Amino acid sequence: MISAEQATGAERTRKNRSAWVWVTAAVVLLVVLPFVFRLDGKAHGDWLQLLGRFHPTLLHLPIGLIVLVPVLEIAGMKRPALREAADFVLRAALALALPTFALGFMLAYGAGDSGTTVTRHMWGAVALCIGLMLCILARPAWVAREQGFVYPALLSTSLLALLWTGHQGGSITHGGDYLTHYMPQSVRVLFPSSGVNGATAGSFYALHIRPVLDAKCVACHGSGSAKAELRLDSYDDLMHGGKDGAVIVPGKPEASILLARVTLQPGDPHFMPAEGRTPLTSGEISWIRAWIRAGATETATSVPGVNIGGERAEPPPQPVGDYSALVPEIQKMQSGLGAKLVPLSAKASDGLILRTVDVASSFGDAQLAGFERFAPYIVEAELGRTAVTDGCFETLRKFTHLRALHLEGTGITGSNLGKLSSLRQLTYLNLSGTKVTPQSVASVREMSNLRHLYLFNTAAEADETAARSSK
Amino acid sequence: MKQHPLCTDCEPELDVTNLPIPAGLKQEWSAVETRRQFLGRSGKVLGWAALASLFGDAALRGNAFAADTKSPATSPGRNNLGLPHFAPKSKRAIYLFMSGGPPQIDLLDYKPNLASQYDKDIPDSVRGNQQLTGMTAGQSRFPIAPSHWPFKQYGQTGTWVSDLLPYTAKMVDDLTIIKSTNTDAINHEPAIMFMNTGNMNPGKPCLGSWLAYGLGSMNDNLPTFIVLQTKTNPKENNQPVSSRLWSSGFLSSEYAGVGLRSGGDPVLYLADPDGIDREVRRKMLDAVEEINRQTLAEVGDPETNARIAQYEMAFRMQASVPELTDLSKEPQSTWDLYGPDAKQPGTFAYNCLLARRMAERGVRFTQIYKRGWDVHGDVVGVLPTICQETDRACYALVTDLKRRGLLDDTLVVWAGEFGRTVYSQGGLSKENYGRDHHPRCFTTWMVGGGVKPGLTYGETDDYSYNVVKDPVHARNFNATILACLGIDHNRLTYDFQGLDQRLTGPQPAYVIKGLLA
Repeated sequence: MISAEQATGAERTRKNRSAWVWVTAAVVLLVVLPFVFRLDGKAHGDWLQLLGRFHPTLLHLPIGLIVLVPVLEIAGMKRPALREAADFVLRAALALALPTFALGFMLAYGAGDSGTTVTRHMWGAVALCIGLMLCILARPAWVAREQGFVYPALLSTSLLALLWTGHQGGSITHGGDYLTHYMPQSVRVLFPSSGVNGATAGSFYALHIRPVLDAKCVACHGSGSAKAELRLDSYDDLMHGGKDGAVIVPGKPEASILLARVTLQPGDPHFMPAEGRTPLTSGEISWIRAWIRAGATETATSVPGVNIGGERAEPPPQPVGDYSALVPEIQKMQSGLGAKLVPLSAKASDGLILRTVDVASSFGDAQLAGFERFAPYIVEAELGRTAVTDGCFETLRKFTHLRALHLEGTGITGSNLGKLSSLRQLTYLNLSGTKVTPQSVASVREMSNLRHLYLFNTAAEADETAARSSK
Repeated sequence: MKQHPLCTDCEPELDVTNLPIPAGLKQEWSAVETRRQFLGRSGKVLGWAALASLFGDAALRGNAFAADTKSPATSPGRNNLGLPHFAPKSKRAIYLFMSGGPPQIDLLDYKPNLASQYDKDIPDSVRGNQQLTGMTAGQSRFPIAPSHWPFKQYGQTGTWVSDLLPYTAKMVDDLTIIKSTNTDAINHEPAIMFMNTGNMNPGKPCLGSWLAYGLGSMNDNLPTFIVLQTKTNPKENNQPVSSRLWSSGFLSSEYAGVGLRSGGDPVLYLADPDGIDREVRRKMLDAVEEINRQTLAEVGDPETNARIAQYEMAFRMQASVPELTDLSKEPQSTWDLYGPDAKQPGTFAYNCLLARRMAERGVRFTQIYKRGWDVHGDVVGVLPTICQETDRACYALVTDLKRRGLLDDTLVVWAGEFGRTVYSQGGLSKENYGRDHHPRCFTTWMVGGGVKPGLTYGETDDYSYNVVKDPVHARNFNATILACLGIDHNRLTYDFQGLDQRLTGPQPAYVIKGLLA
């Protein structure tokens, strides 16, 4: 039985000669095309984009077929019929790869995409198409067992080209750090391109500006694709601007195009991020605005008007232990003193609030000491306008689950506020209208979890205001 | 030895049970004996309820211990709800109610494109087949009236605010502005009822009553729910507000809002008359209470319980209200912040200052009504006045709460019953215009514990006519307020007329998660 695959060498050579001519012409066309129509970052013709946007739809078809080829070749060792199919699949893959390439090129050229990732993606596709054509040419000789390694080598190269091209394409649509974003830090360090370089680590730019730009902007304005010749993936590029000039004017948020474009009405044609990508949140916009106003430097670690401390999430509440055995005692205590222990919520482990408002004027250190027994279950102590004095801290330091402490309007001077430093859960401390001084609050300022410190109407507040205005 | 509370002399009392009178009369007399005997006699269920009511609310309500106390969960007028359902972000709320319907287009819902459409008709596609009010339904044209006032961007969020609100503009980074609030009703009474009670018809409890019922009091000496009315300005178009709006509906009337008067004494007859000292008053109240308890035992109407509680509250308010309204100890910084209006009782600024003082003293819910926003005509003439009366005070209240550390656990809400139309009611000129009621979208804001600061939520179309993104229906608005206070609106219910009644009504309502911090 004589099949096409077992034709004589002479016949094949004749057939091949005309094929070689075609392939050479196609290769020249593929290589020359990008030099004729340069990806110069300018948009050309909407109809190009209209067609080009079908590129992401079409591209999965040739990929599937290309990957099928080695599968058929290997499986064909057992079942020759599959190997016969391989030739057809290979040709079909090429037949789809070429229009896919054409559409992709139209998309990039039409939308004015440029940048290294887009360029790499394009040349990868060129290499892939050429590889496929060469595979088609080399395959008959391999089937006839005349050349054992040329075809497998070409096919392997093509598959590598496919992998690489596909990755570049994915980086364009999803952003360069799409794959590494959720990797554990220990693994991520192996990928040098992701993350902020060490020189600016810890600065406001590195912590708050760069991550926003990376997440929301760099997919179109980065190394992969630099629309409007604007790249935002490094500080220098950000400050350099794009084809419309600088996008950041240090000190002048209102004159900075970048800020203007992200704060337009979402329906505006100039609104960024374009094409329905996730807009910046108001918080992100406020960071960028404050950073520009403060001079838009790469190194500044803090920016006026932005309280990074306030941005830190509060530590999750620690559930309190089971106090059900103490309930009769709590009730006795309440009816005697008039101060109440009120559950924060229906969930007992949310803890208790110590509420003294009804008996504030007669609630002093001694009365507070009476609640020591319930200390680990109290998460909030409302001692505002009570008669407690500096002695109360001796008791309060045993309130290990205390998250909020109200001492406003009391007579404390804060001389031993330092005793609170063991309260790791404390996030809220109100010392308004007390006699605390700048020196006495210094110790609580260092408490790592304290987010809300109120010093209204105190000497400490006056001092703080003076310090801020002299800066 | 028995001694009647009203009896101040020390003569031994006759023992009624030994007198030769019919047994029925003796029985009746025994019912008005002293409290101790009364409790001893009927001590099983009602007695404990009565005692517990004297001990204050927390012993019964919102209290996980209640199951362990002897107070029965079944006692009339009381409940054992076990609220809050989850850890609340806010303990209390202050609701600044802008009655009449503030025109969102002139305040916070910036529509720059309208300027070029002056006096053009609003497209039919925008208005749709909406039924208008009788006031403009007869108009042959619906000409677009762009806002008379320029807008500017403020704060780090770059929020657009009208020049009418220079003080609100200073706090936009703290506010959660909702541009997509919408309601079902187009006229004042049903709309204001709907915002407050979740139902257009009177008879349902309002938000404040639900909170008082569900969460109880934090302070035994002041009402849980206080309503402050602002003195009206005769230049403005004042729509009536009535106690129906702070009614407790089918809930016990002790959960109704307590209105403080806007002029003169905040509470009438608060001071004891000459010759009556506090001790006499106390004795009088004890006696009244005994009579009430007798009625309660006979009739079993839970409203009697409410009346007993209210007498007690009034007695305690005789001491607490003068302290509350005594502003003499306020520092100069207060007056610098609130402005000179705050010294005039009954102004909006004064009420805002009182609201802050109530928040400090543990009032659960304060609602301030400001009337006059109903600008059907002469928007240019009237709106600046209303804004002047309210803008600075709103800012002062929020700022004051913030600097005193109260905003962390207080929710402040600013809302009216609906918005106003983009088209002019009556004649439109370059100098003036009017705006009709508009329920399809209006702008509200919240700030404080539980909501996301610096957020503008929802969008309206180019005419501020329809919501195009993230609508917040009044039901969901209320559900979200409840969520900030630790309440699941689906679980705060009261069985009445065969229905588990709730603030958000029988239709499904949702907490707007996007608003929550």
